[in-house]
Amino acid sequence: MGGGGASDVKNTVWVRALMMAGLIFGLAVVSYVGLGIVVANVKHQDYAESIDAYDEKNDAYVSLGLQITNLENQSENLDPGNVSADVEPYNALSEQISEVKAEQKAAKKAKDDAHHHEVEAHLSYLTYRVAGLTILFVGIIYTAFLVISGLLNSSQPDEHHDDHHGGHDEHEHHGSASPIILSFGCLLFLLGFPDFADGLHGLMMGSTKGSVGDLSVSMVGLTVVTAGIANWWREDLPFKGYGEQIATSEPFQGHHIRKAGIWVFLMSEVMVFATFFSAYLRMRTEWCTFWAFKENLIAGTTVDGCVTQDHVNDYNAGATVEALWPSALGDLTASDYLRPGGAVGTGDFWTMLPGAVNTFALIISSYTIVLALKVAKTHDYKAPTGVFGKLMPTKKAAIRNYLIITLALGTMFIVLKLVEWSHLIAEGFTIGTEQGSIFYVATGAHGVHVFAGLLIMLYMVFKADTVEWDEENAQGIEYFGLYWHFVDLAWVVIFPAFYLY
Amino acid sequence: MGEHKLILGKDIYFWNFIVLMIFTLFEVGAVFFEEWPGTDIPISLYTVWGILIVVGIVKGFGIGAFFMHLWDDPRIYLRVALFPTIFVLLMLWGIGLSNPEGVTGLPGWCTPNWDSLVTER
Repeated sequence: MGGGGASDVKNTVWVRALMMAGLIFGLAVVSYVGLGIVVANVKHQDYAESIDAYDEKNDAYVSLGLQITNLENQSENLDPGNVSADVEPYNALSEQISEVKAEQKAAKKAKDDAHHHEVEAHLSYLTYRVAGLTILFVGIIYTAFLVISGLLNSSQPDEHHDDHHGGHDEHEHHGSASPIILSFGCLLFLLGFPDFADGLHGLMMGSTKGSVGDLSVSMVGLTVVTAGIANWWREDLPFKGYGEQIATSEPFQGHHIRKAGIWVFLMSEVMVFATFFSAYLRMRTEWCTFWAFKENLIAGTTVDGCVTQDHVNDYNAGATVEALWPSALGDLTASDYLRPGGAVGTGDFWTMLPGAVNTFALIISSYTIVLALKVAKTHDYKAPTGVFGKLMPTKKAAIRNYLIITLALGTMFIVLKLVEWSHLIAEGFTIGTEQGSIFYVATGAHGVHVFAGLLIMLYMVFKADTVEWDEENAQGIEYFGLYWHFVDLAWVVIFPAFYLY
Repeated sequence: MGEHKLILGKDIYFWNFIVLMIFTLFEVGAVFFEEWPGTDIPISLYTVWGILIVVGIVKGFGIGAFFMHLWDDPRIYLRVALFPTIFVLLMLWGIGLSNPEGVTGLPGWCTPNWDSLVTER
């Protein structure tokens, strides 16, 4: 803490890092055991039973089909058109065929219902399994992040913690090489990513031949990234707001260099997401989506490879769009699986829910980080009344808890996103198609941004609990907040474009 | 900063948050309902598209102007924020031009009137 000596900060950092890491790891393990093992096993049992039920119904359906074929063969031999045939057995057989066909119709409905139940059971199982695994995975990374950075910070010489204990230099240099180290690590990771993905896939499939070597470049990159993050943490944790670098030349003269830097960085990010978005729009103009098919059909316009003159004629003769759509062999987008009225027909309230909840989660998290900044900049904090007063009794607790809420909402975003991906993949919407490729790359890139933001947020929660945020160093929350709002802003575009349109 | 401007006792961040939540509800609702609620009138796809774009602009403005402080901050940050718009517009133009229907399918106002330049014999 803020008022303690330098060594006090050092020891607190190490102990607090371990305590927080232990708490997070414990929560992650409990969540994984609860969701990913206990509930998921119950759901898997349901799924296994639903597979058996489907097989049973399917066998019954197939068996009735064979029975009908046999009866029809017998019926051909007893055809009254044949002179030697007897009419009475023929009629009895015809009646029997009708009965079996009625049974087959009922069996088909039972089989379809069983299939529907099987799909529902599979998706339900995936929900809990993927949620549990994601929480565990995220928890392990949070824990490793806290332990590694806490350990490195505790080896920091005492004087490095001392810039806020009197006698500080207003003109102290606060530059850092950490962003360059981090960027270099990212470069290495991305350079090795194709091999990394192949190698990881090989390892997951049980093959080790050549797989470990494939991981090397990216693993070196990840190690450099970790070193960059840890070093950044080590440098920034004791920072109490003194010595902020000020730009000395136009156009940012007099402004904080960090603020100008984060804005320029965000603008480069705009370009990254604009590239995904324009690639998507460009490809979409060529796709025969259900939307395009419907609009052109209603307008009576033929489109090469999508709406034919036969479609238009059939539509004008009274056929529905839904009845004509399968013959168009159109392209399915993620929204066709997710939104009500989508071409696949599986979309309803529940399939829309994860994306909608995530949208609200990001907006709420944007607000909570603004509240954290507002409290940090407050000179005379007054605890609110009621339940909020108990949650936010002091300025320190209020800032920390608003940041924890933001962290929790962001983590929920990642969990729901992976659950949603698992459902889409299970339903056949994979990265192997053009539509799947741009969907998973764009939403995945956004997810990576959210996850990177969560790691920074974890650090900010940690700082809130140790060194503390106040009026002097609140710009740290403000600048990170700009990034977090940008991530929200990117989702404002991605959500309607990929999930609703 | 926006926290000093109070409306009905609440700061601008609170009201911005409320507006963002309401508009997100509109956004999801526009796609969720296939007919205008309480009527048999179908919601056309172009209406949904219009709603999504308008809601996107309002939400983008709310987040950029108030949560990211561009409304109050020095104008240089707004200029930096708007700078990539040039490239985004260029990309959109490129999408139009590279579309197979770009030659004949685009409306007249975004295609040059080459016919007027043809030498008459």
